[in-house]
Amino acid sequence: MQNSSSSSSLMVKQEFFTKWKKGLKIYSAFNKEMTIMERKRAIKLSADVAIASTRSATTQWSRAVVAEVSSSAAGAARIAAEEILGRKLSTERRKAQAGKKIVRRRRKAAARGAVRSSAAAVAKKVVRNRRRVLKRLIPGWKKLDEICLIKETLDYIASLQVQVDVMRHLANAGETLHHQQILL
Amino acid sequence: MEPNVEAVQPQFRSGISGTKPGGMGFVFDDIHGLIPGPPETDGTSFTALLELPPPQAVELLVKEDFPAKSMPPPIFPSNIALIDRASMFSVFASADNPPESTNILSVSSSMKTDSVKQEPLESEHHRNSSSPAVSNQSLKSIKRKEREKKVKESSKKSKKLEANEASDGSGEQLPYVHVRARRGQATDSHSLAERARREKINARMKLLQDLVPGCNKSLQISGTAMVLDEIINHVQALQRQVEFLSMRLAAVNPRIDFNLDALLAVESESSIDNSYLGMFPPSIWPEGQLNSSRQQQPWLLDGLHPGRVDDTSNFITQENSLLSYDSPPNSASLHSSQLKMEL
Repeated sequence: MQNSSSSSSLMVKQEFFTKWKKGLKIYSAFNKEMTIMERKRAIKLSADVAIASTRSATTQWSRAVVAEVSSSAAGAARIAAEEILGRKLSTERRKAQAGKKIVRRRRKAAARGAVRSSAAAVAKKVVRNRRRVLKRLIPGWKKLDEICLIKETLDYIASLQVQVDVMRHLANAGETLHHQQILL
Repeated sequence: MEPNVEAVQPQFRSGISGTKPGGMGFVFDDIHGLIPGPPETDGTSFTALLELPPPQAVELLVKEDFPAKSMPPPIFPSNIALIDRASMFSVFASADNPPESTNILSVSSSMKTDSVKQEPLESEHHRNSSSPAVSNQSLKSIKRKEREKKVKESSKKSKKLEANEASDGSGEQLPYVHVRARRGQATDSHSLAERARREKINARMKLLQDLVPGCNKSLQISGTAMVLDEIINHVQALQRQVEFLSMRLAAVNPRIDFNLDALLAVESESSIDNSYLGMFPPSIWPEGQLNSSRQQQPWLLDGLHPGRVDDTSNFITQENSLLSYDSPPNSASLHSSQLKMEL
Protein backbone atom coordinates (compact mmCIF):
# COMPACT_ATOMS: atom_id res chain seq x y z
CA MET A 1 0.00 0.00 0.00
CA GLN A 2 2.81 2.33 0.76
CA ASN A 3 4.26 1.68 -2.64
CA SER A 4 1.05 2.43 -4.41
CA SER A 5 0.42 5.54 -2.39
CA SER A 6 3.85 6.95 -2.89
CA SER A 7 3.90 5.89 -6.50
CA SER A 8 0.76 7.75 -7.41
CA SER A 9 1.90 10.96 -5.80
CA LEU A 10 5.17 10.20 -7.48
CA MET A 11 3.34 10.03 -10.76
CA VAL A 12 1.89 13.44 -10.23
CA LYS A 13 5.29 14.80 -9.39
CA GLN A 14 6.80 13.12 -12.36
CA GLU A 15 4.18 14.47 -14.65
CA PHE A 16 4.63 17.95 -13.27
CA PHE A 17 8.38 17.71 -13.55
CA THR A 18 8.28 16.53 -17.13
CA LYS A 19 5.90 19.20 -18.23
CA TRP A 20 7.78 21.86 -16.39
CA LYS A 21 11.02 20.92 -18.05
CA LYS A 22 9.32 20.95 -21.40
CA GLY A 23 8.35 24.55 -20.84
CA LEU A 24 11.81 25.50 -19.69
CA LYS A 25 13.35 23.93 -22.74
CA ILE A 26 11.27 26.10 -24.97
CA TYR A 27 12.20 29.20 -23.05
CA SER A 28 15.86 28.48 -23.36
CA ALA A 29 15.46 27.79 -27.03
CA PHE A 30 14.04 31.25 -27.45
CA ASN A 31 16.50 33.33 -25.49
CA LYS A 32 19.98 32.19 -24.82
CA GLU A 33 20.75 34.85 -22.30
CA MET A 34 18.10 35.89 -19.84
CA THR A 35 18.32 38.16 -16.90
CA ILE A 36 17.57 36.71 -13.54
CA MET A 37 14.13 38.22 -13.44
CA GLU A 38 13.30 36.85 -16.82
CA ARG A 39 14.49 33.46 -15.73
CA LYS A 40 12.41 33.61 -12.61
CA ARG A 41 9.37 34.57 -14.58
CA ALA A 42 9.97 31.78 -17.03
CA ILE A 43 10.43 29.23 -14.29
CA LYS A 44 7.32 30.32 -12.48
CA LEU A 45 5.14 30.41 -15.54
CA SER A 46 6.27 27.03 -16.71
CA ALA A 47 5.70 25.58 -13.27
CA ASP A 48 2.23 27.08 -12.98
CA VAL A 49 1.11 25.88 -16.36
CA ALA A 50 2.61 22.49 -15.71
CA ILE A 51 0.89 21.99 -12.40
CA ALA A 52 -2.37 23.24 -13.82
CA SER A 53 -2.14 20.85 -16.71
CA THR A 54 -1.75 17.88 -14.40
CA ARG A 55 -5.37 18.45 -13.53
CA SER A 56 -6.21 18.36 -17.22
CA ALA A 57 -8.88 21.04 -16.90
CA THR A 58 -11.03 19.15 -14.47
CA THR A 59 -10.84 21.84 -11.85
CA GLN A 60 -11.84 25.44 -11.95
CA TRP A 61 -8.52 26.78 -10.77
CA SER A 62 -6.56 24.92 -13.39
CA ARG A 63 -8.76 26.28 -16.11
CA ALA A 64 -8.40 29.75 -14.67
CA VAL A 65 -4.62 29.53 -14.58
CA VAL A 66 -4.51 28.46 -18.19
CA ALA A 67 -6.96 31.18 -19.19
CA GLU A 68 -4.92 33.81 -17.44
CA VAL A 69 -1.75 32.70 -19.16
CA SER A 70 -3.42 32.55 -22.53
CA SER A 71 -4.75 36.05 -22.24
CA SER A 72 -1.60 37.72 -21.03
CA ALA A 73 1.31 35.84 -22.45
CA ALA A 74 4.10 37.04 -24.69
CA GLY A 75 5.76 35.05 -27.44
CA ALA A 76 7.98 32.58 -25.69
CA ALA A 77 5.59 32.17 -22.81
CA ARG A 78 2.74 31.39 -25.10
CA ILE A 79 4.65 28.80 -27.03
CA ALA A 80 5.87 27.20 -23.83
CA ALA A 81 2.37 27.03 -22.42
CA GLU A 82 1.01 25.57 -25.60
CA GLU A 83 3.71 22.99 -25.64
CA ILE A 84 3.04 21.97 -22.09
CA LEU A 85 -0.66 21.72 -22.60
CA GLY A 86 -0.39 20.19 -25.99
CA ARG A 87 -2.96 22.45 -27.52
CA LYS A 88 -3.42 25.90 -28.87
CA LEU A 89 -4.46 28.62 -26.49
CA SER A 90 -7.56 30.60 -27.18
CA THR A 91 -6.77 34.25 -27.39
CA GLU A 92 -10.16 35.82 -27.03
CA ARG A 93 -11.72 36.31 -23.67
CA ARG A 94 -14.75 34.19 -23.16
CA LYS A 95 -17.59 36.31 -22.04
CA ALA A 96 -20.19 34.32 -20.30
CA GLN A 97 -19.02 30.88 -19.52
CA ALA A 98 -21.74 28.36 -19.01
CA GLY A 99 -20.01 27.51 -15.81
CA LYS A 100 -21.26 28.36 -12.42
CA LYS A 101 -24.12 30.54 -11.65
CA ILE A 102 -23.59 32.27 -8.43
CA VAL A 103 -26.84 32.40 -6.64
CA ARG A 104 -26.95 35.06 -4.08
CA ARG A 105 -28.30 33.43 -1.07
CA ARG A 106 -30.27 36.26 0.33
CA ARG A 107 -33.18 34.07 1.10
CA LYS A 108 -31.59 32.87 4.26
CA ALA A 109 -31.84 36.26 5.89
CA ALA A 110 -35.21 36.85 4.33
CA ALA A 111 -36.62 33.56 5.46
CA ARG A 112 -35.43 33.88 8.98
CA GLY A 113 -36.17 37.54 9.03
CA ALA A 114 -34.99 37.79 12.57
CA VAL A 115 -32.50 40.10 14.10
CA ARG A 116 -29.53 38.06 15.09
CA SER A 117 -27.85 38.53 18.38
CA SER A 118 -24.85 40.71 18.06
CA ALA A 119 -22.23 38.15 18.99
CA ALA A 120 -23.44 35.60 16.52
CA ALA A 121 -23.83 38.23 13.85
CA VAL A 122 -20.30 39.43 14.38
CA ALA A 123 -18.98 35.89 14.26
CA LYS A 124 -20.84 35.16 11.08
CA LYS A 125 -19.58 38.31 9.52
CA VAL A 126 -16.03 37.42 10.40
CA VAL A 127 -16.41 33.99 8.92
CA ARG A 128 -17.96 35.38 5.81
CA ASN A 129 -15.11 37.83 5.38
CA ARG A 130 -12.56 35.08 5.77
CA ARG A 131 -14.35 33.00 3.21
CA ARG A 132 -14.20 35.89 0.82
CA VAL A 133 -10.50 36.32 1.40
CA LEU A 134 -9.87 32.65 0.84
CA LYS A 135 -11.90 32.76 -2.27
CA ARG A 136 -9.79 35.53 -3.72
CA LEU A 137 -6.63 33.51 -3.23
CA ILE A 138 -7.69 30.68 -5.45
CA PRO A 139 -7.18 31.36 -9.11
CA GLY A 140 -10.45 31.62 -10.90
CA TRP A 141 -12.33 32.61 -7.82
CA LYS A 142 -15.03 34.51 -9.60
CA LYS A 143 -16.78 31.37 -10.62
CA LEU A 144 -16.66 29.59 -7.32
CA ASP A 145 -19.61 29.26 -5.06
CA GLU A 146 -19.29 28.18 -1.49
CA ILE A 147 -19.31 24.44 -1.96
CA CYS A 148 -17.01 24.42 -4.89
CA LEU A 149 -14.72 26.83 -3.14
CA ILE A 150 -13.83 24.28 -0.55
CA LYS A 151 -13.36 21.53 -3.06
CA GLU A 152 -11.19 23.71 -5.23
CA THR A 153 -9.17 24.83 -2.26
CA LEU A 154 -8.47 21.23 -1.37
CA ASP A 155 -7.27 20.44 -4.82
CA TYR A 156 -5.34 23.65 -5.12
CA ILE A 157 -3.50 23.16 -1.86
CA ALA A 158 -2.49 19.66 -2.80
CA SER A 159 -1.25 20.78 -6.20
CA LEU A 160 0.67 23.65 -4.71
CA GLN A 161 2.28 21.22 -2.32
CA VAL A 162 3.43 19.06 -5.20
CA GLN A 163 4.78 22.05 -7.01
CA VAL A 164 6.63 23.34 -3.97
CA ASP A 165 8.12 19.94 -3.22
CA VAL A 166 9.52 19.40 -6.67
CA MET A 167 10.85 22.90 -6.96
CA ARG A 168 12.42 22.76 -3.55
CA HIS A 169 14.22 19.53 -4.24
CA LEU A 170 15.53 20.84 -7.48
CA ALA A 171 16.69 24.06 -5.90
CA ASN A 172 18.35 22.26 -3.01
CA ALA A 173 20.15 19.82 -5.21
CA GLY A 174 21.29 22.52 -7.55
CA GLU A 175 22.55 24.66 -4.74
CA THR A 176 24.27 21.78 -3.05
CA LEU A 177 26.27 20.94 -6.09
CA HIS A 178 26.90 24.58 -6.75
CA HIS A 179 28.34 25.07 -3.31
CA GLN A 180 30.42 21.97 -3.57
CA GLN A 181 31.87 23.34 -6.68
CA ILE A 182 32.62 26.70 -5.20
CA LEU A 183 34.20 25.39 -2.05
CA LEU A 184 36.48 23.14 -3.94
CA MET B 1 18.66 6.33 12.33
CA GLU B 2 19.19 9.79 13.57
CA PRO B 3 22.65 9.28 15.02
CA ASN B 4 23.59 7.69 11.77
CA VAL B 5 22.41 10.70 9.91
CA GLU B 6 24.18 13.07 12.19
CA ALA B 7 27.33 11.08 11.86
CA VAL B 8 27.05 11.35 8.16
CA GLN B 9 26.33 14.99 8.09
CA PRO B 10 29.54 16.29 9.63
CA GLN B 11 31.52 14.03 7.37
CA PHE B 12 29.74 15.36 4.42
CA ARG B 13 30.07 18.93 5.42
CA SER B 14 33.71 18.59 6.31
CA GLY B 15 34.18 17.14 2.90
CA ILE B 16 32.92 20.33 1.47
CA SER B 17 34.49 22.82 3.77
CA GLY B 18 37.77 21.06 4.24
CA THR B 19 38.78 21.75 0.67
CA LYS B 20 39.93 18.23 0.38
CA PRO B 21 39.27 16.44 -2.82
CA GLY B 22 39.63 13.26 -0.86
CA GLY B 23 36.66 14.22 1.25
CA MET B 24 34.56 14.72 -1.79
CA GLY B 25 35.78 11.51 -3.21
CA PHE B 26 34.69 9.73 -0.11
CA VAL B 27 31.21 11.05 -0.39
CA PHE B 28 30.90 10.23 -4.02
CA ASP B 29 32.34 6.83 -3.47
CA ASP B 30 29.30 6.20 -1.39
CA ILE B 31 27.09 7.41 -4.17
CA HIS B 32 29.01 5.24 -6.53
CA GLY B 33 28.46 2.28 -4.30
CA LEU B 34 24.80 3.07 -4.01
CA ILE B 35 24.06 2.62 -7.65
CA PRO B 36 24.59 -0.90 -8.84
CA GLY B 37 23.57 -0.43 -12.39
CA PRO B 38 20.78 0.71 -14.63
CA PRO B 39 17.65 -0.16 -12.75
CA GLU B 40 14.54 -1.31 -14.49
CA THR B 41 11.85 0.09 -12.27
CA ASP B 42 11.39 2.37 -9.38
CA GLY B 43 11.22 -0.52 -6.99
CA THR B 44 14.62 -1.86 -7.83
CA SER B 45 16.15 1.54 -7.60
CA PHE B 46 14.74 1.93 -4.15
CA THR B 47 16.22 -1.30 -3.00
CA ALA B 48 19.49 -0.48 -4.63
CA LEU B 49 19.70 2.73 -2.75
CA LEU B 50 18.71 1.05 0.42
CA GLU B 51 21.61 -1.32 0.32
CA LEU B 52 23.92 1.40 1.40
CA PRO B 53 23.17 4.02 4.00
CA PRO B 54 20.09 5.76 2.78
CA PRO B 55 20.66 8.82 4.89
CA GLN B 56 23.76 9.53 2.90
CA ALA B 57 22.03 9.38 -0.38
CA VAL B 58 19.15 11.37 0.85
CA GLU B 59 21.42 13.83 2.54
CA LEU B 60 23.46 14.35 -0.52
CA LEU B 61 20.67 14.80 -2.92
CA VAL B 62 18.02 16.31 -0.85
CA LYS B 63 19.31 18.68 1.69
CA GLU B 64 17.42 19.52 4.79
CA ASP B 65 14.50 21.56 3.72
CA PHE B 66 14.34 24.91 5.25
CA PRO B 67 11.12 24.93 7.15
CA ALA B 68 9.41 27.69 5.34
CA LYS B 69 6.27 26.56 6.95
CA SER B 70 6.84 23.95 9.54
CA MET B 71 4.51 21.05 9.22
CA PRO B 72 3.93 19.41 12.53
CA PRO B 73 2.87 15.84 12.11
CA PRO B 74 -0.85 15.73 11.74
CA ILE B 75 -2.73 13.33 13.87
CA PHE B 76 -2.41 10.37 11.65
CA PRO B 77 -5.52 8.47 12.57
CA SER B 78 -7.50 11.32 11.19
CA ASN B 79 -5.54 11.04 8.01
CA ILE B 80 -7.30 7.86 7.14
CA ALA B 81 -10.51 9.77 7.61
CA LEU B 82 -9.05 12.46 5.45
CA ILE B 83 -8.21 9.90 2.83
CA ASP B 84 -11.67 8.50 2.82
CA ARG B 85 -13.22 11.85 2.51
CA ALA B 86 -10.66 13.06 0.09
CA SER B 87 -11.67 10.23 -2.10
CA MET B 88 -15.12 11.60 -2.09
CA PHE B 89 -14.37 15.21 -2.60
CA SER B 90 -11.05 15.67 -4.23
CA VAL B 91 -10.47 15.39 -7.94
CA PHE B 92 -7.11 13.65 -8.11
CA ALA B 93 -7.76 10.60 -10.19
CA SER B 94 -5.80 7.47 -9.73
CA ALA B 95 -6.00 3.92 -10.83
CA ASP B 96 -4.56 2.10 -7.89
CA ASN B 97 -6.25 2.44 -4.58
CA PRO B 98 -5.09 0.97 -1.36
CA PRO B 99 -7.20 -2.04 -0.61
CA GLU B 100 -8.24 -0.88 2.83
CA SER B 101 -9.98 2.14 1.62
CA THR B 102 -11.72 0.50 -1.28
CA ASN B 103 -14.63 -0.63 0.85
CA ILE B 104 -15.02 2.87 2.05
CA LEU B 105 -14.54 4.21 -1.39
CA SER B 106 -17.17 1.95 -2.73
CA VAL B 107 -19.67 3.55 -0.43
CA SER B 108 -19.13 6.92 -1.95
CA SER B 109 -20.07 7.25 -5.52
CA SER B 110 -17.80 10.02 -6.63
CA MET B 111 -14.46 9.94 -8.40
CA LYS B 112 -11.61 8.13 -6.76
CA THR B 113 -8.67 10.27 -6.07
CA ASP B 114 -5.29 9.61 -4.75
CA SER B 115 -2.78 12.31 -4.50
CA VAL B 116 -4.48 14.16 -1.77
CA LYS B 117 -4.73 11.06 0.26
CA GLN B 118 -1.34 9.78 -0.70
CA GLU B 119 0.53 12.71 0.66
CA PRO B 120 -1.12 12.52 4.02
CA LEU B 121 -0.70 8.80 3.82
CA GLU B 122 3.01 9.20 3.44
CA SER B 123 3.32 11.49 6.37
CA GLU B 124 1.06 9.20 8.24
CA HIS B 125 3.30 6.26 7.67
CA HIS B 126 6.21 8.06 9.12
CA ARG B 127 4.34 8.35 12.32
CA ASN B 128 3.31 4.79 11.91
CA SER B 129 6.87 3.64 12.10
CA SER B 130 7.23 5.17 15.50
CA SER B 131 4.14 3.80 17.15
CA PRO B 132 2.48 1.16 15.07
CA ALA B 133 0.43 -0.58 17.74
CA VAL B 134 -1.34 2.43 19.08
CA SER B 135 -1.81 3.84 15.67
CA ASN B 136 -3.38 0.73 14.26
CA GLN B 137 -5.94 0.51 16.97
CA SER B 138 -6.96 4.08 16.80
CA LEU B 139 -6.81 3.91 13.05
CA LYS B 140 -9.27 1.08 13.02
CA SER B 141 -11.61 2.75 15.42
CA ILE B 142 -11.44 5.95 13.45
CA LYS B 143 -12.04 4.05 10.28
CA ARG B 144 -15.06 2.35 11.70
CA LYS B 145 -16.49 5.62 12.81
CA GLU B 146 -15.73 7.13 9.50
CA ARG B 147 -17.37 4.26 7.75
CA GLU B 148 -20.52 4.75 9.72
CA LYS B 149 -20.39 8.41 9.15
CA LYS B 150 -19.77 7.83 5.51
CA VAL B 151 -22.83 5.74 5.17
CA LYS B 152 -24.86 8.35 6.86
CA GLU B 153 -23.43 11.12 4.81
CA SER B 154 -23.75 9.41 1.52
CA SER B 155 -27.30 8.55 2.28
CA LYS B 156 -27.91 12.12 3.20
CA LYS B 157 -26.32 13.56 0.19
CA SER B 158 -27.51 11.14 -2.37
CA LYS B 159 -30.52 12.43 -4.07
CA LYS B 160 -30.83 9.54 -6.41
CA LEU B 161 -29.62 6.54 -4.51
CA GLU B 162 -32.02 3.76 -3.86
CA ALA B 163 -30.85 3.23 -0.33
CA ASN B 164 -33.58 3.82 2.11
CA GLU B 165 -32.83 4.42 5.70
CA ALA B 166 -35.27 4.29 8.52
CA SER B 167 -35.45 7.83 9.68
CA ASP B 168 -36.78 9.11 12.92
CA GLY B 169 -39.38 11.34 11.62
CA SER B 170 -38.32 12.65 8.33
CA GLY B 171 -41.28 13.64 6.30
CA GLU B 172 -40.16 12.54 2.90
CA GLN B 173 -42.18 14.80 0.80
CA LEU B 174 -40.12 14.36 -2.33
CA PRO B 175 -39.69 10.86 -3.60
CA TYR B 176 -36.04 10.99 -4.33
CA VAL B 177 -34.48 12.90 -1.48
CA HIS B 178 -33.46 10.55 1.25
CA VAL B 179 -32.44 12.58 4.17
CA ARG B 180 -32.44 11.58 7.73
CA ALA B 181 -33.92 14.22 9.96
CA ARG B 182 -32.68 14.39 13.44
CA ARG B 183 -34.91 14.62 16.44
CA GLY B 184 -36.47 17.94 17.05
CA GLN B 185 -35.64 19.43 13.71
CA ALA B 186 -37.90 20.79 11.08
CA THR B 187 -38.62 18.52 8.23
CA ASP B 188 -39.86 20.69 5.45
CA SER B 189 -38.04 20.41 2.21
CA HIS B 190 -36.30 23.75 2.40
CA SER B 191 -34.61 23.14 5.66
CA LEU B 192 -33.81 19.61 4.64
CA ALA B 193 -32.08 20.78 1.53
CA GLU B 194 -30.34 23.44 3.45
CA ARG B 195 -29.25 21.02 6.07
CA ALA B 196 -27.93 18.71 3.41
CA ARG B 197 -26.01 21.56 1.92
CA ARG B 198 -24.60 22.58 5.23
CA GLU B 199 -23.56 19.01 5.92
CA LYS B 200 -21.78 18.90 2.62
CA ILE B 201 -19.95 22.07 3.37
CA ASN B 202 -19.03 20.93 6.83
CA ALA B 203 -17.74 17.62 5.62
CA ARG B 204 -15.55 19.26 3.06
CA MET B 205 -14.29 21.74 5.56
CA LYS B 206 -13.24 18.86 7.74
CA LEU B 207 -11.26 17.44 4.88
CA LEU B 208 -9.64 20.76 4.32
CA GLN B 209 -8.94 21.04 7.98
CA ASP B 210 -7.09 17.78 7.92
CA LEU B 211 -5.09 18.73 4.92
CA VAL B 212 -3.84 21.96 6.33
CA PRO B 213 -1.36 21.38 9.10
CA GLY B 214 -2.17 22.90 12.42
CA CYS B 215 -5.92 22.80 12.09
CA ASN B 216 -6.54 19.61 13.95
CA LYS B 217 -6.23 21.04 17.38
CA SER B 218 -9.62 22.61 17.66
CA LEU B 219 -12.35 20.06 17.84
CA GLN B 220 -15.02 22.34 16.54
CA ILE B 221 -16.22 21.80 13.06
CA SER B 222 -15.50 23.94 10.07
CA GLY B 223 -16.66 27.44 9.48
CA THR B 224 -14.75 28.68 12.46
CA ALA B 225 -12.73 31.73 11.80
CA MET B 226 -9.59 30.04 13.08
CA VAL B 227 -9.81 27.20 10.66
CA LEU B 228 -10.37 29.50 7.75
CA ASP B 229 -7.54 31.63 8.97
CA GLU B 230 -5.20 28.68 8.96
CA ILE B 231 -6.30 27.67 5.53
CA ILE B 232 -5.71 31.13 4.18
CA ASN B 233 -2.30 31.24 5.77
CA HIS B 234 -1.38 27.92 4.31
CA VAL B 235 -2.44 28.86 0.81
CA GLN B 236 -0.63 32.15 1.01
CA ALA B 237 2.48 30.47 2.37
CA LEU B 238 2.49 27.95 -0.44
CA GLN B 239 2.08 30.64 -3.04
CA ARG B 240 4.90 32.65 -1.54
CA GLN B 241 7.07 29.56 -1.47
CA VAL B 242 6.54 29.06 -5.15
CA GLU B 243 7.68 32.59 -5.80
CA PHE B 244 10.78 32.26 -3.66
CA LEU B 245 11.68 28.90 -5.06
CA SER B 246 11.45 30.11 -8.60
CA MET B 247 13.73 32.98 -7.64
CA ARG B 248 16.17 30.57 -6.08
CA LEU B 249 16.15 28.41 -9.13
CA ALA B 250 16.69 31.39 -11.32
CA ALA B 251 19.61 32.49 -9.18
CA VAL B 252 21.36 29.20 -8.89
CA ASN B 253 21.99 28.59 -12.54
CA PRO B 254 22.97 30.96 -15.28
CA ARG B 255 20.77 29.06 -17.66
CA ILE B 256 17.40 27.84 -16.57
CA ASP B 257 17.68 24.54 -18.25
CA PHE B 258 21.19 23.60 -17.34
CA ASN B 259 19.99 20.23 -16.31
CA LEU B 260 17.81 19.94 -19.31
CA ASP B 261 20.75 20.59 -21.50
CA ALA B 262 22.40 17.54 -20.16
CA LEU B 263 19.34 15.44 -20.71
CA LEU B 264 18.82 16.89 -24.11
CA ALA B 265 22.39 16.16 -24.92
CA VAL B 266 21.93 12.60 -23.99
CA GLU B 267 18.82 12.38 -26.02
CA SER B 268 20.10 13.99 -29.11
CA GLU B 269 23.82 13.71 -28.65
CA SER B 270 24.21 17.34 -29.41
CA SER B 271 26.83 19.64 -28.06
CA ILE B 272 26.42 21.14 -24.65
CA ASP B 273 26.80 24.64 -23.49
CA ASN B 274 29.99 24.62 -21.49
CA SER B 275 29.51 27.82 -19.61
CA TYR B 276 28.04 26.04 -16.67
CA LEU B 277 29.55 22.68 -17.04
CA GLY B 278 32.96 24.18 -17.21
CA MET B 279 32.53 24.99 -13.58
CA PHE B 280 32.88 21.36 -12.72
CA PRO B 281 36.48 20.37 -13.22
CA PRO B 282 36.68 16.83 -14.44
CA SER B 283 39.31 16.00 -11.88
CA ILE B 284 36.66 15.67 -9.24
CA TRP B 285 34.87 13.00 -11.10
CA PRO B 286 36.81 9.84 -11.55
CA GLU B 287 35.88 7.92 -14.62
CA GLY B 288 34.30 4.98 -12.93
CA GLN B 289 32.01 7.04 -10.80
CA LEU B 290 30.56 8.95 -13.66
CA ASN B 291 29.07 5.96 -15.28
CA SER B 292 27.16 4.79 -12.27
CA SER B 293 26.49 7.96 -10.36
CA ARG B 294 25.02 9.46 -13.44
CA GLN B 295 21.64 8.26 -12.46
CA GLN B 296 21.62 10.28 -9.33
CA GLN B 297 22.90 13.47 -10.79
CA PRO B 298 21.91 13.24 -14.35
CA TRP B 299 22.08 16.87 -15.14
CA LEU B 300 25.71 17.34 -14.36
CA LEU B 301 27.32 14.08 -15.17
CA ASP B 302 25.67 13.54 -18.44
CA GLY B 303 26.78 16.93 -19.44
CA LEU B 304 30.36 15.87 -19.09
CA HIS B 305 29.86 12.91 -21.32
CA PRO B 306 27.76 13.98 -24.18
CA GLY B 307 28.44 10.86 -26.09
CA ARG B 308 26.72 8.54 -23.74
CA VAL B 309 23.31 7.52 -24.78
CA ASP B 310 21.06 6.77 -21.94
CA ASP B 311 17.47 6.33 -21.19
CA THR B 312 16.29 9.70 -20.05
CA SER B 313 13.09 8.32 -18.74
CA ASN B 314 15.24 6.51 -16.26
CA PHE B 315 16.70 9.76 -15.07
CA ILE B 316 13.40 11.32 -14.51
CA THR B 317 12.25 8.20 -12.81
CA GLN B 318 15.29 8.11 -10.62
CA GLU B 319 15.18 11.70 -9.72
CA ASN B 320 11.55 11.61 -8.96
CA SER B 321 11.84 8.44 -7.03
CA LEU B 322 14.35 10.25 -4.92
CA LEU B 323 12.06 13.21 -4.75
CA SER B 324 9.41 11.02 -3.33
CA TYR B 325 11.66 10.10 -0.48
CA ASP B 326 11.43 13.57 0.76
CA SER B 327 7.88 14.42 0.02
CA PRO B 328 6.99 15.06 3.62
CA PRO B 329 9.33 17.82 4.55
CA ASN B 330 10.86 16.34 7.63
CA SER B 331 14.12 15.20 9.03
CA ALA B 332 16.29 12.56 7.54
CA SER B 333 15.29 10.06 10.18
CA LEU B 334 11.90 10.00 8.62
CA HIS B 335 13.48 9.62 5.24
CA SER B 336 15.19 6.49 6.34
CA SER B 337 12.08 5.14 7.93
CA GLN B 338 10.16 5.84 4.80
CA LEU B 339 12.81 4.20 2.74
CA LYS B 340 12.52 1.17 4.91
CA MET B 341 8.80 1.14 4.46
CA GLU B 342 9.24 1.19 0.75
CA LEU B 343 10.79 -2.22 0.91
